[in-house]
Amino acid sequence: MRTERTQVVVIGGGATGTGIIRDLALRGIAGIMVEQGDLAHGTSSRFHGLLHSGARYAVKDMEAARECIKENRILRRIAPTCIEPIGGLFVQLPGDDPGYTGRWAEACAQAGINAEETEPDQVIKSNPVLSRNIIRAFRVPDCAVDGFRVLWGNAASARRHGAKIITYTGVTAIHQNSGSITRVDLTNRLTGQVTRVQCQAVINAAGAWAGAVASLAGIPVEVIKDKGTLVAFNHRIVNTVINRLRPPGDGDILVPHGAVAIFGTTSATVDDPGCSEPLQREVLELIRLGKELVPEMESRLLRAFSGVRPLYKRGGEARGRWVSRNFALLDHRELDGLAGFYSIVGGKFTTFRLMAEKTVDLVARQLGVNSLCRTAEDPLTIAVPEDLVSRGKRVFGVPGAKMAAQRLGESFSRVMEEVGRFPEKGRLICECELVSQAEIEQVASSEDVYNLGDIRRKTRMGMGTCQGTFCGLRTLGILGDHPRFTGDHHLQLKNFMQKRWKGIRPVLWGQQIREAQLSVAIYGALLGMERMK
Amino acid sequence: MNKPAHYALDNCIKCSICTTRCPVARVSERFAGPKQNGPDLERFRLQGLAAAHPSIDYCSNCKNCDLACPSGVEISAMNCRAKGESVSAQGASPRDRLLALPELAGKAGCAARRLFNLAARLKPLRGLGEKLIGINAEMTLPAFAPKTFNKLYYASRPAPLDRKAVYFPGCHVNYHKPLVGMSLVRVLERNGIQVIPGNFQCCGLPLISAGMLSQAQKLARNNLDKVQKYLDRGYPVITSCPSCSLALRKEYRDLFEMDADGGIGSRVYDIFEYLGEMDHKGDLDTNFQRLPVRAGYHQPCHLKAAGCGSPSLEILRIIPGFQVTDLDAGCCGLAGSYGFKKEKYRISMEIGREVFCAVDAAGVSQIITECGMCGLQISHGTGAEVLHPVQVLDLAYGNGHRVPK
Amino acid sequence: MIRKKTDLLVIGAGLSGIMAAAAAARAGKKVMLVAGGEGVLGLTSGCIDLWGYRIDRKDEFCPGPREEIARLVKVSPGHPYAVAQDALEESIDFFLAICGEKGCSYRDNGGGNWILPTSLGTVRPTYLAPDGMAVNLTGFGRIVVVGFTELKDFFPGMLVANLTRNTDLTPGCELVSCMVSAGGKEMGPNTLAHRLEQPGVIQRVAAGIKKFVYPDTLILLPPVMGEDLHRDIMNTLSGELGCLAREVTGMPPALPGQRLHKALLGYIKDRGVEIVAGCTVKSAMVSNQHCRWVTASGAGSTMQILAGAFVLATGSFLGGGLQALPGKLRESIFDLPVETYGPEWSSADFLSTGGQPFSRFGIKVNNLLQPVDKKGYPLLENLLVAGSILAGCNYPVEKCGGGVALSTGYKAGRLAGGMTCE
Repeated sequence: MRTERTQVVVIGGGATGTGIIRDLALRGIAGIMVEQGDLAHGTSSRFHGLLHSGARYAVKDMEAARECIKENRILRRIAPTCIEPIGGLFVQLPGDDPGYTGRWAEACAQAGINAEETEPDQVIKSNPVLSRNIIRAFRVPDCAVDGFRVLWGNAASARRHGAKIITYTGVTAIHQNSGSITRVDLTNRLTGQVTRVQCQAVINAAGAWAGAVASLAGIPVEVIKDKGTLVAFNHRIVNTVINRLRPPGDGDILVPHGAVAIFGTTSATVDDPGCSEPLQREVLELIRLGKELVPEMESRLLRAFSGVRPLYKRGGEARGRWVSRNFALLDHRELDGLAGFYSIVGGKFTTFRLMAEKTVDLVARQLGVNSLCRTAEDPLTIAVPEDLVSRGKRVFGVPGAKMAAQRLGESFSRVMEEVGRFPEKGRLICECELVSQAEIEQVASSEDVYNLGDIRRKTRMGMGTCQGTFCGLRTLGILGDHPRFTGDHHLQLKNFMQKRWKGIRPVLWGQQIREAQLSVAIYGALLGMERMK
Repeated sequence: MNKPAHYALDNCIKCSICTTRCPVARVSERFAGPKQNGPDLERFRLQGLAAAHPSIDYCSNCKNCDLACPSGVEISAMNCRAKGESVSAQGASPRDRLLALPELAGKAGCAARRLFNLAARLKPLRGLGEKLIGINAEMTLPAFAPKTFNKLYYASRPAPLDRKAVYFPGCHVNYHKPLVGMSLVRVLERNGIQVIPGNFQCCGLPLISAGMLSQAQKLARNNLDKVQKYLDRGYPVITSCPSCSLALRKEYRDLFEMDADGGIGSRVYDIFEYLGEMDHKGDLDTNFQRLPVRAGYHQPCHLKAAGCGSPSLEILRIIPGFQVTDLDAGCCGLAGSYGFKKEKYRISMEIGREVFCAVDAAGVSQIITECGMCGLQISHGTGAEVLHPVQVLDLAYGNGHRVPK
Repeated sequence: MIRKKTDLLVIGAGLSGIMAAAAAARAGKKVMLVAGGEGVLGLTSGCIDLWGYRIDRKDEFCPGPREEIARLVKVSPGHPYAVAQDALEESIDFFLAICGEKGCSYRDNGGGNWILPTSLGTVRPTYLAPDGMAVNLTGFGRIVVVGFTELKDFFPGMLVANLTRNTDLTPGCELVSCMVSAGGKEMGPNTLAHRLEQPGVIQRVAAGIKKFVYPDTLILLPPVMGEDLHRDIMNTLSGELGCLAREVTGMPPALPGQRLHKALLGYIKDRGVEIVAGCTVKSAMVSNQHCRWVTASGAGSTMQILAGAFVLATGSFLGGGLQALPGKLRESIFDLPVETYGPEWSSADFLSTGGQPFSRFGIKVNNLLQPVDKKGYPLLENLLVAGSILAGCNYPVEKCGGGVALSTGYKAGRLAGGMTCE
């Protein structure tokens, strides 16, 4: 058992949690952030990948819309390598209320969101997969965002300023004394190591698990767990975000994301905050809705995935979309008489930085720290110099270099050096998403990487067409000397393939059932992995 | 290039069979293989990135990848597109331009035939050519014919017949092997059909293989329009070169989305396809002379890729005394103009080694193949004499000036 | 339109299709074989799996696959072996004869299964293995696993790390891994295989391994040891090192399946079978429960093929024989009913000894390999179905893919050989 001491413990390693630990660190407040799985293993890795312009919320939630557009601009400035400023479209289809369109356009103007009407013919010409029945269309400043990269950016920035971040660690107890927070007990889920952290404040940023965490402190926080399922297409069927112009509902957003495209989402209340099992009927419903937007929705779907949206409603009586999408910052000293305990619940990815800012403003004030928030100004990512990327192009090819540079940021130069010394490390391990051996080795030796899934999230290995069939085994093979990967190969591979499988099952038809059959044939008939010890 | 359809990209299950069947990848580790430049990088080209592996110009466009694919992915089309990206970015070398324009080279070459044919055989000049232009010194260059096919045809004063068919000779027949064309004319004439030489341009396949796609597209449009006009007049269009045939029936559609429903392509025939249909109806004159010849047959990759087998073998096997064995030895390696390039010559010869060995093993000195370039490579590698199957048929009808060995 | 006429048309160039063509050709029939691609036999292990494990105890190897199959057909009469058991022995003999003739020699293990190593360090049971792979792992004091620096998909360390856990070796057997170079940088399996055949290369490779070889050593290699000259270079290697050398089963693409494919195709070509690759059968003309002809198209042209009999060996989803849309299944050419054994298409475990339900989907047939309806009446009289498109077989976990293909393909060819074109 170990003991540590810090000022603030942040529970939850999603967008909010990592945004908070970064903000704390930049203000010189000592903090430890703890996450039960890998960074972004919760909701922050299971969303559209959309950096909202806010237009979606303009009619129903003007405040949220204003927050979105403001944060949209901030994030584009501080994290350009995580964001594709591809713009978005809102399209009105037959059956959509034309009156809503008028109100929507006005609301956007009021919120300061630039929504420019454009010719449906033009829209269809540039995006031929779209329905020919588009009645009206508007351009908005939506962007695609890589949530993983933003989170790693937050974490790296926080660490650079002295914060500590621990993954695969759960909170087992929150201690208080005389109405104040004193200590948090942690258990590492991989090693069993117990750590006691003395602290002055605890920020509960656990997303869908916020209720469970709060109950460790004896406090009721009602979080509605709203499950949403999304699907990923094998290729980038559109090059701009496509939204349905009608009151927000299911199956109305399509976002290009690197080499794939993501479509969603659905809505259903669940009990389990970790509910991540997409169901085929949810997928079929998405396809039914999506066909109105994209007639050939059955274009190969790679997988489906589910995340749980944490929604907060004071008083606890609400379901699904009608709950406010604003976030709720709870000061439990005011609410429940426990000083030093805060919960931040709800919100959306686009506004994580603002949520973190408001939270840390509150906490800093109560800790007596006066420094100002810098997270809107300090760059989140350090861009790789152009000449280095150009050199990289000669080694990795054009898309490979560009993407590796964006993923690796400052580590890119180390990867280039390694390849310079050992050219064979320029080999592609993941051929579908162009991930090189050097990049995987670089990532594997960084903190927070314990299994193939962790490597996947950091590099996109296994996220392309073959869904890990070829690259999972290759990755394990090249990491033969890495202490963390020399253990149980069977377990590593089995867990990796099993997690991939979870998302493939609900889309098992067309070309994906062929891919699955190939994968099962390789691991069963050829390699006998089902009986591996 | 702005192609919205995606070459059946989504069909790819990443099995890599295409790369195992690529003749170039097999003999050279330089080439990353059709999978990488094809379906792998296509997903990135869709983002607007000019994604092409630097080794893309090692693709010979032989189409063995398409043939082997169990998923129907248009792999070679994607590789051509990758080449197009690469050429758009870096431009094409003067040599590559020259080799991609056989019509231009043909006109110039035939006009100054004696000079070019002589120069082609002089070692020092060839050595200089390799240094200055990059055309390999050892490879036999196709000789320019004394008269083009068109000239020969009109000089022969063909008899007018009621039934007519339009012929697409292609550059190799027109400028290098016009006698093939003349054999075709006589064969059809014997069967009551008058051949009309179509006023076509180069099919454009050399340009496609060189990544010069927009120029190829112009030729494609031109050719299809002309073909349509002939079809409208009720004339079938006949080819004798599998590459020209593949261009008209598949490449134009895959790369340029022309003739999407195949209405034109389905009425373009390879000569033996046409004769086969006649035979099926009982219309073919099968009064062949005895031809006691043992020949080896080489199936060109582009004919294999058409997915219709070898129509010529069916007809040739009717000729009394004629024995033909299928060499079945894969790609000859020349791949159009690929093997002329100094950095590709070794690869081309290494690929072709299997074919040369098969010729030796078959113990034949007469080779039959539909593709002029395959024929050139085989005679370069083995010294064997090469005929187009239609020339054999012509001989079996009692024509031709030579007695076969 | 090209028109063809033949006695037997085989659709599909997989193992079962080629066996059907071979059997009918041997009986003197005129045979044509068409395939959309060229066949995916190249992706397989190159071995023939008959049956792997005990029916009652799925984690134990079965001592005798034939005996296990005899037991199987009693408890699972819906398994394809039940309708082809009568042809199994003959088909194996025929297969061995074909391979022998084409210089691609296979061995059995005296009635039991070979227990062969894989690149993962697991073992797999198989009945017939090519000479270059057949080995008994027990009986060696030392096993040296050799990787090539050029080859991406083979990790000797991984094999070494897992092998002892997955099989019994001689007590005290040393497991060693080493890397050699064939003089290249990065090579795919076929490129490396070709390279190893060039003069001097295999000798240099042997020199790189020599210091690891002690008496009683077995060398394990990735499945890339040459193409046509495989036998020569393996002999050279063994000769230079003075010990046994064998290829293991690895991630595709790999060479053993390709060598087998080439040998089998060569055999049927020698026997006059016309093979048209790149030609996909799109539709069939059926009247009075008889298929008259099919229409097929390649890249450039359409073909109409008349035949007395047809063999459907188009494979499962992988081969394109079956197609799936959400909740709907279709057999691609004749629209035959597809058996699913229940509403579930997949199971939650990606890989378990129970296997995936969709692996068993396919066409139900009678004892004459004719497709049947729910009542068991034949839907078509002159269509025979063979290979992985048959219902009831779960080859990834049963380890029976090769045996089912051989026996059903061979039987289909023999039966179809008795039908003539009208």
